[in-house]
Amino acid sequence: MYLVGNLSIYIGLAISIFSLLIFIIGIYKQDQRFINSGKGGVLAAFICTAVASAILLYLLATEQFQFQYVHDYTSSELPLIYKLTAFWAGNSGSLLLWSLFLSMYTVMVVFSKKMKGNPMVPYIASIMLTNVIFFFFILGFVAKPFVLLDEVPIEGKGLNPMLQNPGMILHPVTLYLGYVGLAVPFAFAMAALILRNMDDFWIKMTRRWTILAWMFLSLGNILGGQWAYVELGWGGYWAWDPVENASFMPWLTATAFLHSVMIQERKNMLKVWNVSLIITSYALTLFGTFLVRSGVLTSVHAFADSNLGLYFLIFMAFAVLGGLYVLMSRYNLIKRDAGQFHSFLSKESSFLINNLLLVGAAFAVFWGTIFPLVSEAVRGTKVTVGIPYFNAVQSPILLSMLFVMAVCPLIAWQRSSAKNLRKNFLYPSIFAIIAMVLMVVIGVRKTWAVIGYGVIAFLLITHYLEFYRGVKARRKMTKENIPVALWRLMVRNRRRYGGYLVHLGIAFIAMGIIGSQNYDLETMKTVKLGESIEIKDYKIIYEKLDQRKEGINDIIYADLRIFQNGKPLGVMEPEKVFYGNWEQPSSEPAIVNSWKEDLYLVLSAWENDGRATFIVKINPMMNWLWLGSIILVIGTLFAVWSGKYGNITPRYSGSKREVS
Amino acid sequence: MKKNTMVSIGGLIIAGAIVFLLMAATPGSSGVEITLKELNGNQQKYEENYVTVEGLLVEESIEWDADKIELQFDVKDNEGNKLHVTHNGVKPDNFTEGVIVILQGNPAKEQGEFIAETVKTRCPSKYEGQDMENYDPESHKDKLNKPSSESEGEK
Repeated sequence: MYLVGNLSIYIGLAISIFSLLIFIIGIYKQDQRFINSGKGGVLAAFICTAVASAILLYLLATEQFQFQYVHDYTSSELPLIYKLTAFWAGNSGSLLLWSLFLSMYTVMVVFSKKMKGNPMVPYIASIMLTNVIFFFFILGFVAKPFVLLDEVPIEGKGLNPMLQNPGMILHPVTLYLGYVGLAVPFAFAMAALILRNMDDFWIKMTRRWTILAWMFLSLGNILGGQWAYVELGWGGYWAWDPVENASFMPWLTATAFLHSVMIQERKNMLKVWNVSLIITSYALTLFGTFLVRSGVLTSVHAFADSNLGLYFLIFMAFAVLGGLYVLMSRYNLIKRDAGQFHSFLSKESSFLINNLLLVGAAFAVFWGTIFPLVSEAVRGTKVTVGIPYFNAVQSPILLSMLFVMAVCPLIAWQRSSAKNLRKNFLYPSIFAIIAMVLMVVIGVRKTWAVIGYGVIAFLLITHYLEFYRGVKARRKMTKENIPVALWRLMVRNRRRYGGYLVHLGIAFIAMGIIGSQNYDLETMKTVKLGESIEIKDYKIIYEKLDQRKEGINDIIYADLRIFQNGKPLGVMEPEKVFYGNWEQPSSEPAIVNSWKEDLYLVLSAWENDGRATFIVKINPMMNWLWLGSIILVIGTLFAVWSGKYGNITPRYSGSKREVS
Repeated sequence: MKKNTMVSIGGLIIAGAIVFLLMAATPGSSGVEITLKELNGNQQKYEENYVTVEGLLVEESIEWDADKIELQFDVKDNEGNKLHVTHNGVKPDNFTEGVIVILQGNPAKEQGEFIAETVKTRCPSKYEGQDMENYDPESHKDKLNKPSSESEGEK
C-alpha cells in the first residue's frame, strides 16, 4: 500500500511532465500523434490521483495507524463516515483531493464531446497540466500523504471534534470543486489568447465552467457558514476571518465575470477586462490557499504552519505573471473591433456598475485581509482590521449591488427611453415605498434595515413583474394555463430565468443577513435548577442537568423548557460533548427554528450545585438565508442545464490548427 | 466626447467612492496587534487602543465566577512576561494549559491588567488530537460533579 500510494504520486508527476512536454512538441510540430499521446497522459495522471485517493480512503477506513496521516486524524472509535472524511482533514490529504479534482476537470475538458476537433485543446491541456504538475510536486516532496511511522501505534489521535459534523462531508468538497473549477476558465482564457481568438464558442464554454465553479464556491461558503452556525456555539455564520475572505474574494470576481461576459457576448466589448477577471479569480484561489496554509495571518481556522504557503505564493506569482504576459502580448489584437455604448441608461451600463461594485467589494475584502501585513511592513506595527471594518465597507457596496440587481430587469439592452423607464419603475417604486412605510409602522426602524428591506422589496417586485409579464405575453399566444406557461417560458429561456432565480436567492440571503445582523439579541445568565431566563417573548426554564454516554464521547446536557408568550414549545437540550481523546468539551447548541427567528441556546458552564451558565441568542430570519441558498443553487442548475431549447453551443470559429 | 469615455469617467467616480469608503473605514475599525512584551513595557501608550495580543494560558490561574459571569486568568509568554486578564463572558472551548489565547480588548489602567472583549483559543496543531497513549478513558467520567471550570487538566 505504502509503495503503491507513493508510486502513484511519483508516476503521476512523471506522466504529467511527460504529457506537458509532448503537448508542447505536438503543438510545435503540428503533429496529431503527439497530441493524442499527451491526451493519454492526461487520463493516466487522473488515474494516478484516483488510485492514490482510493488508497488513502482504504487506509483511513481500515485504521492503518502505521501511516502518519491515518494516525494523526483518525481513531478506531470514529464512525466510518468521519474516518473517510478525515481524507481532507489535514494538509496533504486536502491537497490530494485538490489534485484529484484538478486532474478530473482536465480529463473532462480534454475528452469532452464539445471540444472534439478544437485546436484549443492542446493549449488548455498544457495549462491545466502545469497546475497538475505543481500539485504532484507538492504531494511528492512537500506534503506527502503516505508517510510510515517508525513504530506502529495502537491508536490514532482522533479527528478534531469540530470536524465531526455533517458539514465536514460536503463543505470541503464543494469548496474545493469551486476553487479548482476556476482553473478551467483560466486555462480557456490563456488558450484563447495564445490562439488570438475569443469567439462565441469561447464565451460559451468559459461561462459554463465559471458558472459551475461559481455554484460550488457559493455552496461551499454557505455550507461553511451553516456548519459554523450549528457547531461552534457562537451563533454566527460569517466572521470575516482571513480564511473566509479567501473564498469570498474569488466568488466576487467570478460573479463580476459572469455578468461582464454578457456584454462581451453582445457588444464585443470589455475583452481585456474579462480576461483580467478570470486571471484575478484564479490567482485569488491560489492566494487564498497561500493564506490558509502559511500562517502569516492570525486566523482561528489555519492549518498547521508549514512552508507550503510559500510554494503557493511562488506558483501564484508564476501564474499571474504568465497570464499578464500573454494578455499584454495580445493586447492590441483583442482591443480591436470593440463596440460602443449607445446610451447611459442601458443594461450594459448597469452591468458595468455591477462589475465595479463587485470588484470594489473584492478589493475591499482584499485590503482588509492584507492590511495587517502591509502596516507591519510599512510602519512596523501590525494593525488589526476587525469585523466592524468589513461590515462598514461591505454594507453600502453590497446594498448598492442589490439595488442594481433590482433595477436591472427594468432596463433594456442598448437604450432605455425615459417613457418606458417611468412605466417600468412606477409600480415597483410605489410598492417598495409602501413596504418601507409598513416596516417603520410595525417597528423596524434601524436605517440600514429599512433601506435594505426596501431595496429587497423593490427587487422582489421587479423580478415578479418579469415573470408576470413573460407569462402574460406567452398566454396571449398559446392559451396555456399559468403553471404550464410559466414552466415553458422558463425552460425556453433557461439562462435568463435561471439568472432571475439566482437573484431571488441572493435577495432571500440578504433578508437573512440584514435581519440577523441588525436585530439579534443575546443574553448570558447563570441560573439555578428551576429558575428561568427571559429573552424577548421567550421564557426558558432550566429543568435538569445530566450526563450520558455515546460511544467514547461523554455528553453533559441541560433540559430547557421553552415557552413563547406562554405557549409551550417543548424541551430543548443544549450539550457539551467531551469527545474521546480530547480533554476539552465542544458546545452543541440547541436551536428552535421558525421563519421569524431562531432561538439559539448554548450550555456554557456548570457548577457543583447544579447552577449552569447559558448563552441565549435570538437570530432573526436565519431560515431565509438557508432558503435563499437553496434557491440560488436551483437557479444555477436551471440556468446551465442543457435542455431542448436554446443552450446550443456555438460553433468554434477561431483560428485553425493541424492538431486538436 | 465619446460615450465610452463618459462611461469610463462614471466608473472612475464609483471606484473613487469605494476607495474613499475604504480609507474612511480603515483607521476607525482597526486596532493594533502587539506582543505581550511590548504591551507590558508600554501599558499607557496603548491605553486608548483596541489591542490584539496573544499569550499562553496559565491554567491554575483560571478563576470563574458563575454568578457574575466573569472569567479571570493569566497569560504569559516564553520570556516570563505576564498579563492578568478579565473577561466578562464564558470560557471558550479548548481552554487548556499552554494553549495560545488570542485576546482582544483594552489594557486596563493598572500595570499588567487587561480587559478582554473577546477571548479565542488557537491550538498550535489545530486539527490534530492528542496521542492516545496519554488518553485515560476515565478522564471524562463524572464530569457532572465537577464544575466545568475545573474539569480539565487531569492528564
